[in-house]
Amino acid sequence: MPFTDQIIRYGSLSVVGLGKNTGKTECLRYVLDKLHQRQKVVAVTSIGIDGEGVDRVTATPKPFIFLEKGMYFTTVASYYKTKRFRAEICEVLPYETVLGKLVTARALEKGKMILAGPSDTILLQNWVREMPQNFPVDICLVDGAISRLSPASPAVTESMILAVGAAYSLNMRTLAERTRFIFDTVHLPLAGGSLRNKLESITRGIRGITDNGEITDPGVESALLPAQVREVLGKCQNRIYVPGAVSNALLKTLGEGKEVGKTELYIRDFSRIFAEPRVFYSFLRKGGRIIQLFSTRFLAVCVNPVSPQGYRLNSEELVDSIQKEVDIPVYDIKKMEG
Amino acid sequence: MNFARFSERIDGLKYLAGKMELTGSRVRRYLMQMPFSTDRDLLESHFDILQKACEILSDQKAKPFMMQLQHLFSRVHDIRGTLAALKEKRTLDEVELFEIKSFAALCADAGKLCEQAGFPYEKLYPLQEAFNILDPDKTGTVSFYIYDSYNKALSNARRQVAATDPGRDPGKWDQLQNTIQKEELAVREKLSLELSVLYPVLQENFDKLARIEIWFAKAKLAHTYNMVRPATVPGDQPGVLSVEGMINPAIAENLENAGGKFQPVSVTLYPEPCLLTGANMSGKTVVLKTLALIQALTQFSFFVPAQRASIPLVKDVFLVIGDKQDQYRGLSSFAAEMLDLDRILANMAAGTKMLVLADEPARTTNPQEGAAILCALVEYLEKYCVMSLISTHYGDLGLSCRKLRVTGFEGAQVKGRLDPLRMNSYMNYSLIEDKGGSVPLEALNIARLLGVDVSFIDTAKKYLK
Repeated sequence: MPFTDQIIRYGSLSVVGLGKNTGKTECLRYVLDKLHQRQKVVAVTSIGIDGEGVDRVTATPKPFIFLEKGMYFTTVASYYKTKRFRAEICEVLPYETVLGKLVTARALEKGKMILAGPSDTILLQNWVREMPQNFPVDICLVDGAISRLSPASPAVTESMILAVGAAYSLNMRTLAERTRFIFDTVHLPLAGGSLRNKLESITRGIRGITDNGEITDPGVESALLPAQVREVLGKCQNRIYVPGAVSNALLKTLGEGKEVGKTELYIRDFSRIFAEPRVFYSFLRKGGRIIQLFSTRFLAVCVNPVSPQGYRLNSEELVDSIQKEVDIPVYDIKKMEG
Repeated sequence: MNFARFSERIDGLKYLAGKMELTGSRVRRYLMQMPFSTDRDLLESHFDILQKACEILSDQKAKPFMMQLQHLFSRVHDIRGTLAALKEKRTLDEVELFEIKSFAALCADAGKLCEQAGFPYEKLYPLQEAFNILDPDKTGTVSFYIYDSYNKALSNARRQVAATDPGRDPGKWDQLQNTIQKEELAVREKLSLELSVLYPVLQENFDKLARIEIWFAKAKLAHTYNMVRPATVPGDQPGVLSVEGMINPAIAENLENAGGKFQPVSVTLYPEPCLLTGANMSGKTVVLKTLALIQALTQFSFFVPAQRASIPLVKDVFLVIGDKQDQYRGLSSFAAEMLDLDRILANMAAGTKMLVLADEPARTTNPQEGAAILCALVEYLEKYCVMSLISTHYGDLGLSCRKLRVTGFEGAQVKGRLDPLRMNSYMNYSLIEDKGGSVPLEALNIARLLGVDVSFIDTAKKYLK
C-alpha cells in the first residue's frame, strides 16, 4: 500500500469523512492493519462522541475498530468496560468529556472496541503530542467525526486521508466536486516563514499586514459580519489575516471590494474554511488570493461506493471521476480489502 | 468562615489566590475551604512549615527535586469519586483500581521527592501495600488489568476463549465470556474489599498532596511579593497591630505596569478606634484594604506583603468600603452600608474580637446626619475597645479618639494637568499622628490637577466659606 510509508514518515494521521458512513472507519481499519503488518506501534482514538454501536442518524451498525495486540487506544471508560478482550490500562486522562473519564490502554490481545476520545481539537492536539512522549508509540491515528474536518487540521495531525462515500451523495459529480474542493483548500499556497512566525501566535481577532510585512491591529473582534469586514478592509488595505472561521460573508464581502484582485487573505489552515465552494471559487476567480500558514499532507482519498440504504455506485466509475479532479491516489477501500 | 468567603469580601485576597500556581480545581478546592484560624499555636506551626518551604525554594540544591515535584503535582488526578467508593465499600471497576494503583505509585514518588528536597512536614504514608495488592505479578509497572494470576478459573476461561472462534462456536464463546465477566467481578470485589481497609491512609495522602502543593504555592507567592513571616501577638498581651512598610500587591503591580512605584506604608493600631484623614487620592482606601488583606493572610497562614508585621489574632475582619450596592435586594449603597454596620454592632455586643476597617462611613447621605452616624460609630468602637481604622472627610467632629493623617500632596507647585496615574509621584502616602481636628482641604486643588474645567473650579471656590 503506497501511503503506509508516508504515514510512518509523518507520524500522525487523521482519517476524516465527507459525512457519516462514508467508509471512514473501514478506511481506518485498513490503515491499522497495514501498520500492524509493518510492526509499528500505533495509538488510535476518535474525536468526540460519535461512538455508538449503532449509528443514531441512519440506524446502521457502526463498525468497531479492530485492535491488534500491542496497540494503544484512548476511549471513554464506559466503553472500555464493555470490552471482551484483555487490555491493560496505562493512563486515565486528566480531564473528562461529556461521556466521562478517558482511558488510554494497551491491547494485550486482538480485540474490537468502540472509540470515543478527546472531544475537541485542542485536546486531540495534546493527545497526538503526548502519546509518543508517554508511551513507545510510532504513529498516532485519529478517527474523525461526522462531517468535521477539524481533526485533520495540521495543528493536530501531520497527514490526512479523506473518506468519500455514497452516503454523502449518490451523485458522482457532487462527490467529485466536494472532494476537489477539499483538495483545493488543503493545497492553498503557504505563507512565507517570516510572516508565519509573526502571525502564528495570533489566534483571535483580525490583523492587517502592511506592504513591508508589519502586522497592524484594526481593533475588530471577528470577521463574521460584512460591516466588520468592510471596516477592516478600510483600515488595513488589502492584506488581512483571519485566524478564525472563514465564512461565506467574509469571502463574499472581500470579493465585492473594488481591489479584489489585490486582496490577500491569510488563514491558519484549510480546516478554518467554512465558506461554500461556490463562494470560495468565486473569490479566487475574481483574483483574490487565500494563503495558509500551515498545511497538512493529503495522502489519499478512499471511496465507499455503498450507501447505508444499500445503493451501490459503480466503484470504478466513482474512483475515476474523483481521480480526474485530484492529484493524489484514490482507492476503493472495500476492493482493496477484498 | 473559609477562604472562599473571605476572598469575596477582600479583593486583594482573591487577587493573590489567582496568582498562586496550583495545578487545578482539585487543589484550589482545598485552598478555598481553608479555615480562618484564630489558634496561635497552629498558625505559628504553619509559619514554620511555610518558612521551610521558602528556604527550599531558594535552595539551589533542592531545585531539581522541586521541579520534579511540581510536575508530579500536575499528574495527581482528582480521584474523589474513587475514594468515596472505597469508603462506602463499593466494588471498584478496572479504571478505578488503576487510579488507586497509579495514585499509590505517585505518593511513593512524592514522598521520596519531599524527603530529597528536605521538606519534613506533611509526611505521606507509604502505600506499598495498596500497590502490591494491585501488582500480583510484582512487575512494578503502573499499568493495570485484572491479571490472570488473581484467579485460576479466570485464567482458564481466558485461555479457552482465545482458542474459540466466536463465528464458528458462538454459544461456547458467549458462555466463556460470561464466565470471564463473573470471575473478573469476583476479583474486583475481593480487591475492593482489601483496599477499603486502606481507605483512611489513601484519603489522608490525597489531602496531604494538595496541602504540600499549597505550601509551596504560598512560598512561591512570598518570594514573588517579598512577603515576610508575621509575628502573631499572644492572646494575653495587649492587641497591638503593627505593620511596617506594607504593600498592596494588586495595586503595586498596576502601578509598576504604568511605570510608577508603590510607596510602602507603616501603621500601628491599638484596641480602640482611630480616624484616618487625608486628601482625595491620598490612598486612604488602599490603607484599609491592605490592612484587611494582611490580617486575613496571617490567619490563613500566609506570609504578608510588608517589611515587618505583628498581628493580634481576631475572630473576624470587617472591611466596609461602602460601594456594595445591592439592587437585586433593593438596597442602595447607603442601606447596604448601614446593614454592614449593624452586623458589626451585633458582633461588638457579642464581644467578638475583630478588626473593623471602614471607608468613609455614611458619606452617601447628608453631612449633618453622616457626621452623627460616624461619631456614634466611634463611640461604640471606643466602648467595646474594637481595633479599628475609620477613614473620613468630615472635619472638626470634636472627637477625642486617636487620629492618623496621610501626609498628603507635595506637588502644590505643579502647574497644568496631571495624569491620575502620575499623581502618585507627588503624593506622600506615609501616615502621621494628627493632633488637630481639621481635615485637609485639597479637593479643588486636586480637581484642578486632574484637568477639570478651570472656570468651574473658580465657581466652586466662590462657595467656599
